[in-house]
Amino acid sequence: MIDLVRLTDVNKVYQGGITGALNGVSISVEKGEFAAIMGPSGSGKSTMLNLIAGLDRPTSGTITVGGTDLAKLSEGGLARFRRDTIGFVFQFFYLLSNLTALENVLIPAQLKGGDAKAHARDLLDKLGIKEVADKYPARLSGGQQQRVAIARALINNPMLLLADEPTGALDTHSGDQVMELLGGLHRDGQTILLVTHDAKLATRNAARVLSVVDGRIVDDARLESPERAASEVIRVRSEETSR
Amino acid sequence: MTAVIVKALADLRRRRLQAGVIFVTVLLSIAAGTMAVTLMSQTRDPYQAAFQAQKGAHLQVAYKAGTDPRLLSTTPAAIGATAFGGPYPVSTIQFKFKEQKFFVDAVGRDNPLGDVEVLNITSGRWAQANDEIVLTRSFADLHGISIGDRVKVTSVAQTPLLSVVGEVVDIDEGSADLSSQRAWVQAAAIPSLTSPDSSYYLMDYRFAADPTRAQLQGYTDRLRAALPAGSITGSLNYILIRNIFNITNQILTGVLSAFSIFALAATLAIVATLVTGIVISAYREIGIMKAIGFMPAEVVGVFALQIVIPALAACMLGIPLGTIVSQPLLANSSHALGLSYTPSFSIGMDLMILAAGLLVVAIAATLPALRAGLLKPIAAIAKASAPRGAGGRLLRTSAARAHLPRPVVLGIGDALARPLRAVLTLVTVLLGVATVVVAVGLPRSFLLINNSATGAGNYQVVVTRTSAYPDSEVMRVLKAQPETARVVAIGGQNITVPGVLDPVNTRLYRGDSSRLGFLVIAGRWFSAPGEVLAPAALLRDAHLKIGDSFTGSTDGQVLQLRVVGETYDINNFGHSLFMDLATMASTKPAIEPYMYDVTLASGADVAAYVHRVAAVQPDLIDVHASDTSIITPVQIIDLVLLVIAGVLALIGIGGVFNTLLLNTRERIRDTATLKALGMSPRQVMAMVTASAAFLALIGGVVAMPVGLYLHHVLNDVISNSAGNDTPPAAYAVFNAYELVLIPLLAVAVASVAALVPGRWAARTNVVEVLHAE
Repeated sequence: MIDLVRLTDVNKVYQGGITGALNGVSISVEKGEFAAIMGPSGSGKSTMLNLIAGLDRPTSGTITVGGTDLAKLSEGGLARFRRDTIGFVFQFFYLLSNLTALENVLIPAQLKGGDAKAHARDLLDKLGIKEVADKYPARLSGGQQQRVAIARALINNPMLLLADEPTGALDTHSGDQVMELLGGLHRDGQTILLVTHDAKLATRNAARVLSVVDGRIVDDARLESPERAASEVIRVRSEETSR
Repeated sequence: MTAVIVKALADLRRRRLQAGVIFVTVLLSIAAGTMAVTLMSQTRDPYQAAFQAQKGAHLQVAYKAGTDPRLLSTTPAAIGATAFGGPYPVSTIQFKFKEQKFFVDAVGRDNPLGDVEVLNITSGRWAQANDEIVLTRSFADLHGISIGDRVKVTSVAQTPLLSVVGEVVDIDEGSADLSSQRAWVQAAAIPSLTSPDSSYYLMDYRFAADPTRAQLQGYTDRLRAALPAGSITGSLNYILIRNIFNITNQILTGVLSAFSIFALAATLAIVATLVTGIVISAYREIGIMKAIGFMPAEVVGVFALQIVIPALAACMLGIPLGTIVSQPLLANSSHALGLSYTPSFSIGMDLMILAAGLLVVAIAATLPALRAGLLKPIAAIAKASAPRGAGGRLLRTSAARAHLPRPVVLGIGDALARPLRAVLTLVTVLLGVATVVVAVGLPRSFLLINNSATGAGNYQVVVTRTSAYPDSEVMRVLKAQPETARVVAIGGQNITVPGVLDPVNTRLYRGDSSRLGFLVIAGRWFSAPGEVLAPAALLRDAHLKIGDSFTGSTDGQVLQLRVVGETYDINNFGHSLFMDLATMASTKPAIEPYMYDVTLASGADVAAYVHRVAAVQPDLIDVHASDTSIITPVQIIDLVLLVIAGVLALIGIGGVFNTLLLNTRERIRDTATLKALGMSPRQVMAMVTASAAFLALIGGVVAMPVGLYLHHVLNDVISNSAGNDTPPAAYAVFNAYELVLIPLLAVAVASVAALVPGRWAARTNVVEVLHAE
């Protein structure tokens, strides 16, 4: 298998921080994997996702995505990298309120200079929200907004889809639907890195769960079956939390 | 109350940049306003003071040289004058100083004091011998003549030398750059300075109260009736002279007042935009303030104070600044009137400006701040910021259809995302650009009029002869020069026109005067004897229109005249006539021209021509290149316009900058999201710049007709104040490409103003912003 993402001895210390948000993290994610990064609040899981997305730079260590060393990219280069390689789904959707659902989905493609209206409509259709294409975000439910955000993340056919607590702002039913969607995308070959603090959510679709505590990877579980996976991960988490 | 001040000050510290924008815009507008008010309130005083102190003449009348002086002594009683001066013998003389020659009316007067027209000696002393002369200070200053200099009188064959012994200020004549001048000699010296047809008697009259124009008209009518026909050859009234003294400041105060209102309007638009923006972005904070006990009025007070405090600081600086800047103009007026200059301002007036300025700014700040006071605390906390609608969608769709890059499309959409803010910003841009249009256009209109008056491009050399050198000789000399292409000879005569107070100065032309470049506003140039042109003021006062015939008179002889055109002439505030010399020659066969406008063949050396012709008769003719320079008052008006345009443009830039700052701050999360989706820093800059450019383009395009209209109106106001209608050519001073270029310049300037907020947006730290959510 080919490594799509590789973090080597990555440290991240925020200005004024006494301890690092990430401490010597080294992981790799293969193409086609659905990996979940799990951990309590402040553990550093979102920091890891931000570094992989090129939204932030590590204090030390190297990060390569699709063979590209992110440290070698300028701000403009990182923007192009995000546009071409990454799809990002946020907890709070972050749709642009003054654009319709369809316009929101189209933005990354238009920033790239392309016209992907047909593809965007296909995506909305695939995600079951084609009827909201011309509606503004304020008129959509949370679940619909997150689907629009997923469509937006997929518009440029990214190598890697990053999802940061994608169900965190949704009710259970909508959250389940979103996770179903992500599972379906993975089955179609999409590499996905999911950040969550919910163990059940992490193990429902992900074949691999990375547990992060205090900026360190404390467990890297490759799960054989969903039943086993859940108990395994929950055990690891409770051990780490009680330490 | 302490809490309100503490919170307002804390917010001010946090919003230093926006406080800076308020400070600068209020400073500029209040300084311009103070300057206008100071000029307006203080301008009239110096003339009134000098007129009283120097016992100015309400009416001055010139009588034909042959009139019996004893008869003239009875005229004050005939018109009820309470005081009079004269009759003074006067002779129009030409004198030479260095290489320059000048015409002045030499008044024979033994004493500078008297009951009327006291001459204020500003340096030197009064003439005590027949070879001494006293000049006006404005004339001496203008031509660099000093006490002790000797001038050579060239209008009489003996060419006597006179020593300049004094400089005076005469309240009864205009400044040297705007009107002809007098000089004073001992009465006994007049005969030796007098050439044929160059002398007259001058009488000064003063009345118990300032007479109206109609009363003055009545007095001159009575004088005409009491004396033999043709006795009165000219007259001058104090209203005209006062207008000459005040016209520059009157125009300046008019222009300044109009544009101060513009500046204030633009400032208020910025204040309202800013407060609205702050309230919109501070919903959560407003909710918290209310939750911890701020009353609605106190919340409003916090927001209003954030504006009023920098505005107060700006007023404290701007009012003294405006007062100081207006002083040179006031000093100039005082100097021209021979008054000692003392800084002229009114503390009461300044306090009123301060109060009015602050009140208006406070109202502009309070109205949008009321929204904050009315917000429900829970709703405010929950929303964090005001909801935004789908503003700008139509624009975005249109821009997208034009296949513009997405960042540009987004930027254009953002420009109108908040319609009220966009409209207020457009107002500031519109006022700025419109003022620039006026500041570009008016000097061109002035130049065009100046060129017509000075013959720029139409004749290059002006020759003036004394009566000792005959017209035929001048013509022979000029025609003998190979470079002479055309000579138009000019004479002058005063003509009494029914309904017009003073005898009208009439210019008489021989030769093709239609090619001298005079501006014909309506009708046509004269082409036959009996046909005349006049400016608007004369036509209005005489109730004449083009095609009308009227009967004029000169020296008791009648002239049948017909108006064939309206022209432009600021001399005597539009009271002049233009006609063929032959028209006058029919009643005064001896009349001859004294001045010659010479057009040279293309490529001729003007300096060499002047030198050669002048050498023919160094004393009896004056030859000089046509002076096409713009007179000082117009230069001052041009300069003030330029400064005002700069001020309004700066305020406009401040408006765009302020709006972009609010937009980018308000849209920080969207910008972070776009960056997360792959928008590059350059694209972010492009987005913000597109917003600014779009606002500037719309504002600029709308401003063009507004600016052109204002240019039209100001042209009319200025022309009318000088007794004229505006020549059509003075309106059409813009090229088609300039009409496009000016809005584009606004776009360029706004794009530069967008650099700071654009860079700020481009440097948005995505992680920090989205984490803060």
